[in-house]
Order: sequence, then C-alpha cells, then structure tokens
Amino acid sequence: MRLLRIAVVALLAAPAAAGAQTLPDWTGVWQMVGGTVFDRATMVGRGGALSAGVRERPPYNAQWEAIYQRNLKLRDNEQLPDPINTCGTPAGFPRVMNVPDMYEFVVRPEQTWILTENGPNILRIYTDGRAHPAPEDRWPTYTGDSVGKWEGDTLVFTTLSIKNSNWPTEGDTVLDRTGLVLSDAAHITTRLRRVDAKTMEARMVIEDPKALTAPWTVTKTYARQPDGTRVYDYGCAENNRNPVDASGKTLLLGPGGEKFGQ
Amino acid sequence: MKTNGGFAVRFIILSVCVAFSALVGERTVAAHHAGTMFSEDVKEISGVIKEFQFTNPHTWIQVMVETKAGAPQQEWSVEWGSPNQLGRRGVRPSTFKPGAKVTMRINPMRDGSPAAGFVGAKFADGTTVGDWK
Repeated sequence: MRLLRIAVVALLAAPAAAGAQTLPDWTGVWQMVGGTVFDRATMVGRGGALSAGVRERPPYNAQWEAIYQRNLKLRDNEQLPDPINTCGTPAGFPRVMNVPDMYEFVVRPEQTWILTENGPNILRIYTDGRAHPAPEDRWPTYTGDSVGKWEGDTLVFTTLSIKNSNWPTEGDTVLDRTGLVLSDAAHITTRLRRVDAKTMEARMVIEDPKALTAPWTVTKTYARQPDGTRVYDYGCAENNRNPVDASGKTLLLGPGGEKFGQ
Repeated sequence: MKTNGGFAVRFIILSVCVAFSALVGERTVAAHHAGTMFSEDVKEISGVIKEFQFTNPHTWIQVMVETKAGAPQQEWSVEWGSPNQLGRRGVRPSTFKPGAKVTMRINPMRDGSPAAGFVGAKFADGTTVGDWK
C-alpha cells in the first residue's frame, strides 16, 4: 500500500518536474575582478587607467571617436563630470556590470536580478517569455530594457533602450571613469554564466550602429566571496565630501565645508 | 610590533589587500571618484585623532596635526575607502579612536591643502593599520 502511494505521488509529480526549468545556483556574494576600466584594451594615459597601454578598442566611428577623445582630454584635466560622483543617477547598463564592491545574482524563474552594493543598482532581466516593448512603447532609461532566456546554465539576454550617451553635452550614462560612451542605438547581448564554483562571467557583445563600426566584445568576471560575507547599505549622499563643481572638477571638502582642490 | 590576536590577523589581511590594490594600480580610495587629486608621493604626518567618519561613500580620518612646536594645530582630512569595503577587511569605527596619537602615511593633495589619501598608520603602542612596511 505504501509502495503504491509512493508510486502515485511520483507519477503525479513527474510532469511538473519535467516541465520546470532547472535553474543554476548563483547564490552567494561576488566581486568584480580587476579595476573599473570597462575594457583594458581601451587604456591610454592616466586617470582611472591601470597603466598606459596600447589602445585597441572600442571601434568607434569618426564622430564618436571625437567624442571619446574629448572625454579623455576632460579626464586628463580632471574635469570629467562622472555622474557617479554626484550620487544622483544609477550606473546604468552596461556600467552596472562594471562597479566596485559586492554583487548578488538572484535567479528566479520569471526574472533574474543583478544587485550591486555600490550605487546601489538593480538590473532586472525578464525571462518570462516577454519581448522588448515596441519602439513606440519604450523610452530610454539608464538601465535600459533587458529580456532573456536560458540556454542550459547560461542566461542570454539583450539590453536596449539605454539613454543617449553623447555625454556630457546630452546624456548621462557612461561606461567608466575614462569617458567611454555609447549611443541610444546600442544593442547589447550578454551571456551570463557560472564558469566554475568561484567564478561568474558576463560576456557582452556591444553593437551600436551610431557609434561603432564593428561589434565590441567585453568580458567581465566576478569572484565568489567567502561564505558569510555581508553586503552593506551604500548611501552615496550620506557624507559626500567630493562634490563636482560647475567645471566638472571633483573637489574635496574640508571639515567646515571649505573647498580644497580648486 | 604590539598587537592582539584577531586584531593582528585582520590587519595582516588588510595590509595584503592594500598591497594587492597597489599591485593592480587602483587606489582603495578610488571607488567613488578618481584619485588624481592626490599626489603619489608618500608623506608622514603625526597628530591626534579628532574623529573617524565611518560613512559612505568614503571614510574620513580627521587628525589634528602639530606643524611646529607650540604652533596651533592644523586639522587634516584623510580620505580612505568605503566603510563597506573596509568593514569587510576588519576595520571598525573604533579603529581610529578620538584622542589616539598616530603617525600617518598619506598621499597629500597636489594643491597643498591639508587633505590626503590614506596609506597607513602607526599608533603609539606600535600597532599599524593599512600599508605600513
């Protein structure tokens, strides 16, 4: 009798189990490996660059290369008005994949959430079968719109509708402190997977018909932190003694609010 | 060096982290803004801790420095990493207690203002924090 009951329960449960997506285990706390230069192959000069390097990417067209060169000059003059310094706007996509401090990857059947301590930021990736909104039903946002599907243990998602980043004159979203920018036509395909017990990998293929002459591939990795690692509150405006002045220069405030570094 | 148990272990880890940061060329202070306002030169200052602001996006060590014997003290603002980063490495709000005597190694501001990026510190009892070799 007991065997029969077990067999019936097993039979009833089987269809549900067969239809369910087996989702990978991405639990734990993770930290991006390396510095916050978005792509080391873009490195030239100082100011956020790890060292002087040979510039290989991104493959900007002439118009956007000029924008990038302008930003590099601003950086060298310490006048790059990095929006992150103002404590006011989200990092946006794809910069959300390129921030310091801790990451969490929360996998649910209908969505995956990427939570970053720094910011804090949230990236929502819909995996419930929905498509991107039609062009007339979407508008640019810092983080854009991300939809994806599972290919085995890999979450493949596309992101579009990010803000126009002809920055600092028009947009707000940049990729890093060196002044890398993309246009609002950017279409990014990300393959996110757990490579091994200690490593997550995000491989982003960036296509941007306004700014790039070829797809630009950037891979970021994240290292699992020890069990029990805590993630803390990050109130950027709590005690921001490094405001940005009207010229875009980052200042340092003394104990009485006096402005150093002008 | 006078230390105590877990405290010492935590600061060894901290020192390794700081050394690693130096290896990859990113300053611990650079999480929220670029560190270009600070010189890469290392200077020593000595004084008494006034306050440790254990706040985001950066912590600040306020230290009263006597520049000349008998002269009025000058308040220095020494910027370090976020409390989140430092807290995970064993630093606590009590790490810099008000009134503690300290010698600090810093990357001073390029414009000569009494402010700097933190490198390391040594207290009167010989314990050290950060990068101190």
